[in-house]
Amino acid sequence: MEELTEFAVNYAESLGAEYAESRFQCDIQESIILKNGIPEAVVLEESRGISVRVLVNGALGFASTNDLTKRGLKAASNRAYKMAHASTKILRKRISMDDSELGSVKVEVKPHVDFDSIDVESKAKLLKEAYKQAVDEAADNKIKIPSCSITLDTWKTEKLVMTSDGAYVHSFTPRAALFTLITAFHSQKGIIQRFFNLGGTGGWEMVKKWDLPKLFKEESKTLSEILLFARGKPSGKTDVILGPEVVGLVCHESSGHPGEADRILGREAAQAGETYLKSDSIGLRVGSSLVNVVDDPTLDGSFGFYMYDEEGVKARKRVLIKEGVINEFLHNRETASVFKIKSNGSSRAVAFNREPIVRMANTYLEPGDYSKEELFEDVKDGVYIKSFMEWNIDDRRFNQRYVGLEAYKIENGELKERVRNPVLEVTTIGLWSAVDAVGKDLEFQAAYCGKGDPMQGIPVWTGGPHIRLRDVTLGG
Amino acid sequence: MRKDEIPLYIVDLALKKGATDVAVKLHDEQHAMIRFSNNEVTVSKFYNESVISIFLMIEKHRAATTVPLSSARNAEKAVNNLIKIAKITPPSELYAPLPEGPFDYDPKLLKDSGISLHSERLIGHVEEAINGALEEGAKKTAGTLDATKEKIILATSGNVHATQERGSLEISVRAFTSEVSSGHFVSISGDEKNFDPSEAGRTAGKIAVAALNPQSGKPGKFTALLGPLVFADLISQVGIVSSAFLVDIGQSFLIDKIDSQIACEKLNLIDDPTIAGSYGVRAFDDEGVPTRRNVIIERGVLKRYLHNSTTAKKHGVETTGNAGLISPHPWNLIVEPGEKSFEEILAEIDRGIYVTNDWYLRYQNYMTGDFSTIPRDGMFLIRNGALSSSIRELRISDNMLRILKNIQEISRTRTWIKWWEVDVPTLTPYAVVRDLNFTKSTM
Repeated sequence: MEELTEFAVNYAESLGAEYAESRFQCDIQESIILKNGIPEAVVLEESRGISVRVLVNGALGFASTNDLTKRGLKAASNRAYKMAHASTKILRKRISMDDSELGSVKVEVKPHVDFDSIDVESKAKLLKEAYKQAVDEAADNKIKIPSCSITLDTWKTEKLVMTSDGAYVHSFTPRAALFTLITAFHSQKGIIQRFFNLGGTGGWEMVKKWDLPKLFKEESKTLSEILLFARGKPSGKTDVILGPEVVGLVCHESSGHPGEADRILGREAAQAGETYLKSDSIGLRVGSSLVNVVDDPTLDGSFGFYMYDEEGVKARKRVLIKEGVINEFLHNRETASVFKIKSNGSSRAVAFNREPIVRMANTYLEPGDYSKEELFEDVKDGVYIKSFMEWNIDDRRFNQRYVGLEAYKIENGELKERVRNPVLEVTTIGLWSAVDAVGKDLEFQAAYCGKGDPMQGIPVWTGGPHIRLRDVTLGG
Repeated sequence: MRKDEIPLYIVDLALKKGATDVAVKLHDEQHAMIRFSNNEVTVSKFYNESVISIFLMIEKHRAATTVPLSSARNAEKAVNNLIKIAKITPPSELYAPLPEGPFDYDPKLLKDSGISLHSERLIGHVEEAINGALEEGAKKTAGTLDATKEKIILATSGNVHATQERGSLEISVRAFTSEVSSGHFVSISGDEKNFDPSEAGRTAGKIAVAALNPQSGKPGKFTALLGPLVFADLISQVGIVSSAFLVDIGQSFLIDKIDSQIACEKLNLIDDPTIAGSYGVRAFDDEGVPTRRNVIIERGVLKRYLHNSTTAKKHGVETTGNAGLISPHPWNLIVEPGEKSFEEILAEIDRGIYVTNDWYLRYQNYMTGDFSTIPRDGMFLIRNGALSSSIRELRISDNMLRILKNIQEISRTRTWIKWWEVDVPTLTPYAVVRDLNFTKSTM
């Protein structure tokens, strides 16, 4: 594909583009769908094509094709050029790319156990066993699992990025992800549901490590106990301890998204929205001094892993909030050029036919120095929210809501009875300012982050330690 | 081999290799998109793709694949691989053979209405939308224009060999008058003549102007007047979760509700892809079954789920022509109109809240329908039958089934809605819902 990718860059330049970028991407995916313990289907997908992105008199054009011939690439380049050229009619500020150092490199994540070495039957058997564990565990508690869907995706991505200013990045990345929705039912207690994602970069060894039968058994036990024993929706002013699953989501929604430079510039205003942060918000205090939120694409084995972004810029850890103060935004080369800085390698695209845009990778709260026991022992009367089901946040990333699923009362530092669906409905600054202790543990969850138009659900990790919030008001 | 002969060739090949049922779809798409913000174009995009989807069964053993057309030219390899996968895939719950044709399709639904993808013309649509909003007083605009032409060639082992062409236009415009006051509207169409980007811009601009100087809203239960963007978001959820597949996997609050009164008697919801020229027009589904007008809710009573042949067999009914080979889905939702105008239903509300748009809808429980979503853009207090002040920072936190039952009024005026937040094109009125629960941040 190198010849065709290079051809696309050269041809676009020959048309008169001041910048040209071409990306070959091939994703080969296998999905096994298990519906209530029974395989629904095995789906194989191959997405393979090349995109061309150009700057023409400061206007940005993008075209993609899966016609992988020189004729097909000429047509795509011509189209990208023409559309960019036509749009100069409604262009005030010329778009440009920063002068970041660009990679010339090959990056390969080698799986220990290739997905193809495990047959479909064995993969389906593993999912069925996980389902059985969930059903049996629930039955032991006289709970039914009326529905349970499990989807296991395994896929390999090959990308080759070349630009007219010298980037050459060829990467190979295998990933696996599991999505589950479990419903638990008791004739007197009602229905509750739990979804969870697992995901990472690597081979089948990662799926084995997840130990799905054990995980499903534990999840089923927890769901059963919530259904049987949780009661009373806590409300009013109280101390709250949030578990890593919730903390990760908060980091993603209320620290990662607002710090995306394209949102700050208004580029996503009609879709994912804008942000409460402005171009000059670096240095703004948004939380207590214990709050350090980072985004790091280079975490080994992570779902959001990459070493070079789609513009050829080397990835690095980004410190979004440092000691409670806005420290850095997420940039691609376009936004970095506006801010007159260098890209921090945040340009990502989910497929060959998607424009690279500013994205998170693995966003998390850095651990502090409290043990879990120390976090709890100082709470006289509080609530521990370990997991969530419902959540959302406004399009300025300021007002958010998290509804707990697994949650407990805390009395005099001790975990007491389960409570039902505590609602934390707070502002971003209100939440981060209430943090008075940060645990030294660290856990990650997998998710697909939605952004862009057309929508691009991109793999990310979210994570963090346990944290303690003082005097927050539950309710909603 | 000619492109349009490939699906039938693959069907024959798969049958020879041992498949009992095969459906092959060739999907050719050209899609142009122009995104704009701050009153200027941020990027222009063009997508040109041909992909082949192959679904096959060896009785209860099912496998599917989607590959680029270029790979499908090596069809024998793809089919061999799929047959191998199907053979070792554990059996599904049941075997429903693909529906047996040939079928007759309405020729009016098979032809593209002639959407132009010419760059200059598309930029012209964007200019009209931006100018419409600015002329109404907006300071800045953002949005997306989509123009699509597609061709679907379907062949199945059930004697189906059919071709559908269709085109669509869609513009979504958000207008701002300040950092926290904005309006949003859309125009969508399956043809050029009913596409009105200027009007979408004007409507967004008017809402943004009215939304100036918003005050923080107070939580509580209010009679709510929901604009078409909001009601489309809620009602398209009803359409989506009427998929029998989603019902079966616990992702639907419509489970066990067939023939039950789930909504106010004024609500009639139909899925109808047989309207020529409409955005969601379809002549046949992914199994080749002719599409039809399906009543989902009639006078508030849930009449049916949407089916493909597999879910239909499981539920003991006929397919509704909504395949999706794995999960059936709605094509083109329609809420039947009420009798009153927007002004008349507004005049009947003494105290309430008018919500013009929402986003980020998430469920606490898909089966009970507990959810929340966030109003965005213009939101207004209603006092004595008229809009009074602009408000912000509230969240709708309620239950889908309760909302459906609490619908009080549905307007005569309707608009086709589809945008980033609403996946299924939905012809939507304004709706009045009593006792809608609003919450807000506590700190």
